[in-house]
Amino acid sequence: MLRLSRSTTSHVLLDSDPLKRDHSACKIIVAMEDYDYLFKIVLIGNAGVGKTCLVRRFTQGLFPPGQGATIGVDFMIKTVEIKGVKVKLQIWDTAGQERFRSITQSYYRSANALILTYDITCEDSFRCLPEWLREIEQYANNQVVTILVGNKIDLAEKREVHRQRAEEFAQAQSMLYLETSAKESDNVEKLFLDLACVLIREAKQNTLDNNDSAPMPGEGKNINYLSCCNIN
Amino acid sequence: MAGVCGCCCGAFRPRYKRLVDNIFPEDPEDGLVKANMEKLTFYALSAPEKLDRIGAYLSERLCRDVARHRYGYVCIAMEALDQLLMACHCQSINLFVESFLKMVRKLLEADKPNLQILGTNSFVKFANIEEDTPSYHRSYDFFVSRFSEMCHSNFEDPDIRTKIRMAGIKGLQGVVRKTVNDELQANIWDPQHMDKIVPSLLFNLQSGEGTESRSPSPLQATEKEKESPAELTERCFRELLGRAAYGNIKNAVTPVLMHLDNHSLWEGKTFAVRCFKIIMYSIQSQHSHLVIQQLLGHLDANSKTSATVRAGIVEVLLEAAAIAASGSVGPTVLEVFNTLLRHLKLSVDYELSGFYDATTTGNKTVNEHEERQLQEAVIKTIGSFASTLPTYQRSEVMLFIMGKIPIPGMHLTLPPTDSGSEGDRMIQVMLLKSLRQVTCGFQSTNMLTALPSSFLDPLLSFALLEDAHIRLLVLEILVSLIDRHDNLPKFSTVSIISDISMLKLKMEKCSRQDNLFMKKHAQQLYRHIYLSCKEQSSVQPHYEMLYALLALISMELANEEVVVDLIRLALALQDLALVSEETLPVFNRCAVHALCAAYLNLICQLTTLPTFCQHVHEVIEMRQKESPFLLPEDVFIECPKVPETLEKPAGEVLFQQAKIAEVLGGSGYNTERLATPYIPQFTDEDRLSKRKSIGETISLQVEVESRNSPEKEERTPAEEITFEALKNAIVDSVGMEEQERERRRQVVEKFQKAPFEEIAAHCGARATMLQSKLSQIFEITIRPPPSPSGTITASYGQTQTRSVPIYEMKFPDLCVY
Repeated sequence: MLRLSRSTTSHVLLDSDPLKRDHSACKIIVAMEDYDYLFKIVLIGNAGVGKTCLVRRFTQGLFPPGQGATIGVDFMIKTVEIKGVKVKLQIWDTAGQERFRSITQSYYRSANALILTYDITCEDSFRCLPEWLREIEQYANNQVVTILVGNKIDLAEKREVHRQRAEEFAQAQSMLYLETSAKESDNVEKLFLDLACVLIREAKQNTLDNNDSAPMPGEGKNINYLSCCNIN
Repeated sequence: MAGVCGCCCGAFRPRYKRLVDNIFPEDPEDGLVKANMEKLTFYALSAPEKLDRIGAYLSERLCRDVARHRYGYVCIAMEALDQLLMACHCQSINLFVESFLKMVRKLLEADKPNLQILGTNSFVKFANIEEDTPSYHRSYDFFVSRFSEMCHSNFEDPDIRTKIRMAGIKGLQGVVRKTVNDELQANIWDPQHMDKIVPSLLFNLQSGEGTESRSPSPLQATEKEKESPAELTERCFRELLGRAAYGNIKNAVTPVLMHLDNHSLWEGKTFAVRCFKIIMYSIQSQHSHLVIQQLLGHLDANSKTSATVRAGIVEVLLEAAAIAASGSVGPTVLEVFNTLLRHLKLSVDYELSGFYDATTTGNKTVNEHEERQLQEAVIKTIGSFASTLPTYQRSEVMLFIMGKIPIPGMHLTLPPTDSGSEGDRMIQVMLLKSLRQVTCGFQSTNMLTALPSSFLDPLLSFALLEDAHIRLLVLEILVSLIDRHDNLPKFSTVSIISDISMLKLKMEKCSRQDNLFMKKHAQQLYRHIYLSCKEQSSVQPHYEMLYALLALISMELANEEVVVDLIRLALALQDLALVSEETLPVFNRCAVHALCAAYLNLICQLTTLPTFCQHVHEVIEMRQKESPFLLPEDVFIECPKVPETLEKPAGEVLFQQAKIAEVLGGSGYNTERLATPYIPQFTDEDRLSKRKSIGETISLQVEVESRNSPEKEERTPAEEITFEALKNAIVDSVGMEEQERERRRQVVEKFQKAPFEEIAAHCGARATMLQSKLSQIFEITIRPPPSPSGTITASYGQTQTRSVPIYEMKFPDLCVY
């Protein structure tokens, strides 16, 4: 009896980690949720490369001109629909300053995707990338999707890092690469939507894998079925 | 999607949905419909199985209202949820809670601060409910992340920012309360959570500093029910730490160390100290040594960072150790001291080399001043740790530190250090300073066990005599070890005290162990005092310490024999001052005279022999008239009033050995002994074997004395001959007293003038002569005498096994007197 109730709670109410959830169960309880998938995205990169502006542009559609330095971590949420699938993006925008490194690192672990940002007008922020990759290696989940973003392409005349160089670097590290401008809203939407697509694909892949490897797939389903009857 | 059709088909809808709908008023401004809420509560209580569906429906409504920005209804829904939650303290809330948490999450996801705060408040209410059923798979990850993020809120409006931050702190407190005792929960103590919670709390604690700490008074603050984020944070942090079990301390403290590193807060010290004060006061006291160990580990990890950081960590250690008191050191006492001593040594190395890393030179240069400060801090910390230890452990620590002092000729295994003698000297100074800290306030009832020869031997070794600074430290250590009744302050200045009863000295009768201690080590102490007086580089503090040492020995450790020896020593010092015209400057000679006068004045009053006192007073009075520069009042002042040249004082201004012997003899003191002038032992050129032979000499003395008791004589008849032979030797030497005295003059002079090698050779020859004589005596007895039985032998067992058999032993001069 105890065992039964345990599985029930787990499958019906666990929503913090949709990736691991049985996909069919997910569909059934969607009545209670306003999304199909939930992804955690964490932005990292040197201070002043425009992480907060990217997030603000995407979530609120504005470009705050005098954006101050982020303290610790910032949180935004945005739900998008991709091919009829509702995807909720939890965006954790971290402080680039060294002093907040310990708190920001603690957010890497649970991330589904990392947006590693640098400033194309700032060679230094590009040079620091290997260091960031080491951090990712150390703190993040190893299935994390990482995308490299060169921000501030509106300042093309001040560009210090050439596109090709960054692309090569991204390729070598098997990362996606995109250049954006939070100010002009170039590629910002695309950045997050592309990321969502990749994440959905991965999640589906994972679900399939999980189903294959699940020892007793039938059990979970039956109970879910029962419980969904209760709800309706 | 059943509820969407709303009012039109209300009649067909389930009862619980109708009840829920009814609690919402037409106009959200009106607030919750109380009567209907009561109905709903009643229904939920009577049909608890419906509770989860009520929850699900309420949350559905709430999500919709949030999306449509109908915040009035959102508040009402939340209020209803809270009330239901409070009303239903039963098992069925388990499922209901899931809907509840989903709603809280929804509110926390909103970007409106009001909703965030609303959600948090509800969560806090929920956190205070104690659930009796375990909840599987409930995840608080999001809450931890979100509340931590709220703690760092950077909202434009400072009032709202403060509110959000406070909500974040309260939320974290709630999560901790909710999960900490629930073993089924995802472990809140995991690094992934602690790394968020702890820095968030510290951030608020820190940002409150300076602004909030100036709040008028804590009383007023509570009256207003307005707490600052910093105060709230501190409370929360304390609660968190108070709940930490043994295995969790590490995870809780590590983020603190990280935070202090990242925000460079070690340098400022105050915040780091404050953090660790909170930690030490909050954690269960049996865990405090874990914190100390982590701090030590962190110090190790930072061994190459700048001195200010290390000094900050050490400072924190100091404070933490003081709070943890007896529990601070835990099972690994020596490890703690080892780490601290290592850092002391490291710092000395840095200071000498000028670089932090020998391999990659030139990257950072060492700030000497900062290193010095660090060294002082480490020494203070060592003292602080030691003061928390029980006596037996303290003497262990003293031995341990002693073992680390590089003493040439003492530890043959010690490899020569690269930095050479200067490095050695600095390390000697540092370690002796540490030792001084450790001995400070050390009160041992049993000197014999507290100060074994393995400790005293190196401390009194010659290597620590030459340098003035080191010599002073050694004297200070000795004084604080011997002073067990806090009499030291009374002897801080050398002066002629006309009536010592004014000092209100605290004295106790010298115990048996103390007597044994003196038998064993007195000669070493006397020699040390004597040799210290002979050093040219001595200045006023040295003489003050010597005076204190002499005074304290006569207070703490004196029996009749010791008193006689001390008087002998004082007279020998007077002689020293007389004969050392060429080797000692005038000041030193005057100082030694003054020291003798002050000390004899003290000891004559301690002996309470009127005739002795009279003699001393006469001499002092005479000096006051004729040569005030031989009295402490003229010597131990800022500008000593000593003459350019010192004529050899004579007659009335000197203490007369014969006279003292006479007055003491009249009162039953052993004048025979007093009549023999004191000469320190320089018997061997090799310091190591010298020390050994002295140790053996003393042990032999004890043996001889123990044999004096009749019952032992009976039990060991085989030793009769040995004893007689030795006694004969003593009687002979007493007979030759006059001759000996003359010879002594010469010897002393010789020692003053001759080069060291010559003295050594001379002494060696003499020792050999004596030895051959003794072997002759022993050969008569054919077999080596068995060591005398009794407790004394037992305590010397070690010495005996390591040393040569007694009959082969080199007998230095002492046993002859």
